[in-house]
Amino acid sequence: MSLMKIDGLTQRFGGLQAVSEFSVEMKGGELMGLIGPNGAGKTTIFNLISGFYQPTEGTITVGDTPTAGLKPHQVTSLGVARTFQNIRLWHDMTVLDNIRIAQHYRLGYNVMDSILRGKKYREREERILEIATELLEAMSLTEVAQECPKNLPYGLQRRVEIARAMSIRPKLLLLDEPAAGLNSSDVEDLIKLVRWIHENYDISIFMIEHQMKVVTSLCQWIKVIDFGSTIAEGTAEDIQSNPAVIKAYLGDDNI
Amino acid sequence: MQKYTLNVLMAACAVFLLVLAHFKIIDNYIQAVIMFVGINIIMSTSLNLVNGNMGEFTCGHAAFMCMGAYVTSLLSVLCFGKNFGDPLLPQYMAMFVFPIMILAGGVVAALTSLLVAIPAFKTRDDYLAIITIAVNYMVISAIENMDFVGGSRGFQGMKNTVWAMNDTIKGPWMLFWVITFTVFTIWVIRRFITSTYGKGVNAICQDEVAAEIMSVNTNKIKLVNFMISAGLAGCAGGLFAHIIGYVNPQSFNILKSTEAMVMVYLGGMGSLSGAVLSAIVFTFLMEVLRSQSLIDFLLAPATFVFPDWEPSAGVIKWVMIPLLLVLIMQFRPEGIMGNKELSDVFPKLKKYYTFK
Repeated sequence: MSLMKIDGLTQRFGGLQAVSEFSVEMKGGELMGLIGPNGAGKTTIFNLISGFYQPTEGTITVGDTPTAGLKPHQVTSLGVARTFQNIRLWHDMTVLDNIRIAQHYRLGYNVMDSILRGKKYREREERILEIATELLEAMSLTEVAQECPKNLPYGLQRRVEIARAMSIRPKLLLLDEPAAGLNSSDVEDLIKLVRWIHENYDISIFMIEHQMKVVTSLCQWIKVIDFGSTIAEGTAEDIQSNPAVIKAYLGDDNI
Repeated sequence: MQKYTLNVLMAACAVFLLVLAHFKIIDNYIQAVIMFVGINIIMSTSLNLVNGNMGEFTCGHAAFMCMGAYVTSLLSVLCFGKNFGDPLLPQYMAMFVFPIMILAGGVVAALTSLLVAIPAFKTRDDYLAIITIAVNYMVISAIENMDFVGGSRGFQGMKNTVWAMNDTIKGPWMLFWVITFTVFTIWVIRRFITSTYGKGVNAICQDEVAAEIMSVNTNKIKLVNFMISAGLAGCAGGLFAHIIGYVNPQSFNILKSTEAMVMVYLGGMGSLSGAVLSAIVFTFLMEVLRSQSLIDFLLAPATFVFPDWEPSAGVIKWVMIPLLLVLIMQFRPEGIMGNKELSDVFPKLKKYYTFK
């Protein structure tokens, strides 16, 4: 059984074919990259995986559950977490609360419990706090646990967002341009962080990235798409010398 | 330890007020004002759940109050009144059945809120505001066209229940119930909104897409939040009907909803203590500005210039309060408390009580 299998994924918005015949299979434990010029349909693929759009054609299967018809929060509870290109933290809540709320799907208590606060409520809340504290410590965010993300520097916000995605305990982590807007030292930290997560947790990572430095130093396998279709795939070296990729990025004359 | 100080303080205040009322140290007028403060606290804190914490814009809160008021009144008249034949229950039961009737009104109001909650899955902001106004009108028109509850003439006979309680044991019963339900409301909201479950509401307010992706079942949380908010407003309606002893659909029109909204924006969006404070300030202001002599005094310079002008307090009040709102929006748009709680504004209070 594979971790995630996408088969013949096609998405049309009216007359626009945003994604066509995209297929990928992740067995578990890989670090895969998705690159392509602006508007190639990369984020659309992520939105399809996480359940924001229902695909026009094709199937996505997580574990052995087809995600067709599932709401985004249901897909997330199958173990697929993601981050956003522009950071989307809850900026007015503390970092700790951000991490705690992301565990909503395994709260295991309902409204009445939250008001009556019986034994079950206290146990669950303690467990959630424990998981959150552990994770913050592992991601070296303990010092900022009581800060609001809006007061943190951008690089740290990015780290908090990845921590929030990790608090779901995902089997598959989707990173949407994690290095966007970071300076070079932050990028170094990010590469270390992603590598550390990949080594320390039993997790597959699928990332969209523009900065070739990040992609080449992290990803074992890269897929390149342009105008919605896959134009190349392979290891970093294969991709860098592939004429179709160079054409997509730089245009015809430069070959 | 600090967890309980607020509860203890609320209980102490309640007992103090009840003792004062029981021995007639405070007269009926002051008691009535205190009861309206209580009702306004329930209205503003419950509306604050939706407009403040969830960041939706609903302006039909009075519809739920109306549902609660009518359902409770109907039950109350059926059980202890004489409008529909003999009372169903003996008088001594009144004090036990009364809170159940109020809660039943709340439950029906919560079910009515589905009319707002289900469209809210897809719509937000201005569009939802329009839906809520529509729901407010729907509820009022529906009741105006029901003849068995008096239609637009209004409905009365609830005082029988209050008298039944008073006949069994003498005391300020309505004050007691209003205070009990006010404390109950604050207790419910405080617990709901500080649990990780309830914090999902704030997450929806700040970024709904991120909330959905981070495994918060946004539709369910919205539904629950709307239902709690409307249910508490329904309780407020039931109490209101029993204080006045008479309900009329038009007393729950858009003006009543606006009053609740003014309190929320005055207090600060998403701040429970702000909503409580602003309900107190607002109710007292409304009462103080009813005084004709005060209005004459305040407007003395104006009447000196225009000797023919005789300002009436009832009119000027509705100039002063909106003016206050304009000034607040200009100079402190986040409201009295912003989105902070009392313990954030005065950190020294943290020694004595925690909000969580």
